[in-house]
Amino acid sequence: MNLTQIAKIARREYLARVRNRAFITVTIMVPAFMAMYIVAIPVLTRSGRTTVQLAIVDAGTGLGPPLADRLKAVERPQIRIVEVASSTAADEAARARFTAAVQDRSLDGYILIEPAATATSGLRARYFAREVGDQTLRRELRVALQSVAVAGLLVGTGVDVERVRQVQQLDLASVTVSAEGERAGGFERAFASTMVLAMLLYIAVLINGQGMATAIVEEKSSRLIEVILGAVTATEFMAGKILGVLGSGLTQLAVWIAVTLAFVIQGLPAMSIGAAANGFDLGAVLTPRLLFYFAIFFALGYLLYSVLFAMIAVTCTSTEELGQSMFIAILPMVVGLMAAISVLTNPSTTLTRVLSLIPLLTPLVMLARVNILMPPLWEVWLGIALLLLTSAGTAWVSAKVFRYALLMTGKRPTLPELIRVVRAG
Amino acid sequence: MTATQSHPPSAGSALQCQALVKTFDGQVAVGGLDLSVRTGTIFGLLGPNGSGKTTTIRTCLGIYRPDGGSVTLLGSRDPLSVRHRVGYLPEERGLYARMKVREQLAFLASIRGLTLRESDRRADAWLERVGLTDRANVLTREMSKGMQQKVQFAAAVIHDPEFVVLDEPFSGLDPVNARLLQDLIFEQRDRGTTVVLSTHQMDQVEAMCESICLIDKGRPVLGGRLSDIKAEYGRNTVAVEYVGPRDRLAGIAGVRACHDTGRLARLQLEPGTDAQQVMRAVFDRVEVRSVRLDEPHIEEIYLDKVGSVRLSAAAPVPA
Repeated sequence: MNLTQIAKIARREYLARVRNRAFITVTIMVPAFMAMYIVAIPVLTRSGRTTVQLAIVDAGTGLGPPLADRLKAVERPQIRIVEVASSTAADEAARARFTAAVQDRSLDGYILIEPAATATSGLRARYFAREVGDQTLRRELRVALQSVAVAGLLVGTGVDVERVRQVQQLDLASVTVSAEGERAGGFERAFASTMVLAMLLYIAVLINGQGMATAIVEEKSSRLIEVILGAVTATEFMAGKILGVLGSGLTQLAVWIAVTLAFVIQGLPAMSIGAAANGFDLGAVLTPRLLFYFAIFFALGYLLYSVLFAMIAVTCTSTEELGQSMFIAILPMVVGLMAAISVLTNPSTTLTRVLSLIPLLTPLVMLARVNILMPPLWEVWLGIALLLLTSAGTAWVSAKVFRYALLMTGKRPTLPELIRVVRAG
Repeated sequence: MTATQSHPPSAGSALQCQALVKTFDGQVAVGGLDLSVRTGTIFGLLGPNGSGKTTTIRTCLGIYRPDGGSVTLLGSRDPLSVRHRVGYLPEERGLYARMKVREQLAFLASIRGLTLRESDRRADAWLERVGLTDRANVLTREMSKGMQQKVQFAAAVIHDPEFVVLDEPFSGLDPVNARLLQDLIFEQRDRGTTVVLSTHQMDQVEAMCESICLIDKGRPVLGGRLSDIKAEYGRNTVAVEYVGPRDRLAGIAGVRACHDTGRLARLQLEPGTDAQQVMRAVFDRVEVRSVRLDEPHIEEIYLDKVGSVRLSAAAPVPA
């Protein structure tokens, strides 16, 4: 193999990739979306609706007025109780007036409270509104209802209602304990960061790998390959292609990391708004260890999948065929992504350990494991070694397939043919 | 013009194939082909579609490995080892559709062993040579077929190869550009490059090739110097320019084939036929403007060799 020739092919491929409009768009858009996610989403969700106009329809429980008082104290969103109505029934007729008010938008919603139907059942409460998706509001309404109901039960017992309320608001915080010590939070944080990193790998492989695969099919179908193969060998061609596409992927990653760093350093004031609202601390999430392993898994996963994309592309004779065959490489990525999610909830099961050592899944699954609960070092490095071996093996097979299939036009090589070619050596 | 350098003249063969065999899944594409291309000449590789020309070319260039026989290209038994001294223009255009013309030329020059700087310089020189300087930064797909063909030619010779294969180089070119390309090919030959021309355009073969090889079904059916081949056939063709109804010249005794356009007719004589007698029959049948005894055109030889194979293979036509 002639390294200069490989470098020339790689250079062209790299430039073709990074000048591609899709590449530029994704490279810019991904950090933009991340920034939006971190800063804008919390701000936006926090400032959703500021004031809500509600009515309370009490069908004989007596909880209407205390509930109204309780809700008026809620700060976000501010709840304005327009009316507290008493009703003898809870049927449609009794509610008609309020339903009409919700429909004509003079009211955002109303709460209907009904007494227990039997001695053993509890109170029944329903919230009628045009929009019922506001999680914050629903939580406030539920907490308020529970506290007034409990307060009602405790009347005359001497128990301090305020203490009961505090007890109700008790939250369970989680702290991850590992060999390195304790870390506040855990699941949500690891989930978010794993998903973000996994998506980065997924997007980068998909955009660049697919671009390269399409280019290979075009080179084949335009017979450009004949000109190139008059100058370089099939193996040099393949190696150059993959190195070029690897370079473009690393460039993309470098841009993303640079933007992240700039964001962390320059954008702290802006971040503190979002971070405070979300309980989000980027420094605690993206630890140096995670970034180190991410870089390794990104590079190796990217390499393996690029080889896979190249090998699939070379067996196709048209972009239509390529479109149909691409799933062979995309499927393990999707499986890896799903496995990574399941790993987050079951970080130490045997299944997880097995999945993380399957080379096609290792980049995503092992990364998830490293993030949620650091596995023994030997397991991580076994995964890396297997990934390396598989990449080398796939490249070896791919080079043979390239030599055989690169000049085939009109007809696709069959699997038995390819197996024969690889065996023949 | 400084884009080209001369090669030292050398006698002998630039390309030699001996008993070359190439099969695909048991099907013979090239079956025992002997070929010798003299250094510094233009050689015509002819044959009908599917006759094995492209496979022969690819095998000679080392893109395919032969299944039998040998190839000696520029003195080497391994064509790949001399690939930087070889140029190739494939039949179907092989250019990156979404790449700028100048970058494309420079890239193709660089993988032929030139430095990046030299590749850039030659790309500029060749764009000027083929009149496309103002299109240097245009994407290839935005150019006409003829322009692309000129770029493709430039790409094939940009590294000053000693041996160049041009597969259908004239397709898509108008007469002006076809003439330009013809001149450029002569220029290559004049500086010592050996040119293998594969084409169906027999007038170009006639005008340009010193020697030819006609292959059919992967086997040679005719080969040698064009002048020798024609001499062997002799002046066996009566060429007539006439006025009168078409088909009047059919059925003259001693004529084995008649190609009649209605204004010009070429009558090929059976061996041993008296040409004077045939000419007299022509005068009897039509109003003659001119008549002469001619050598066969290469196209007629081609049809004679390949067409007869095709016809004899077909079912007999009832009289």
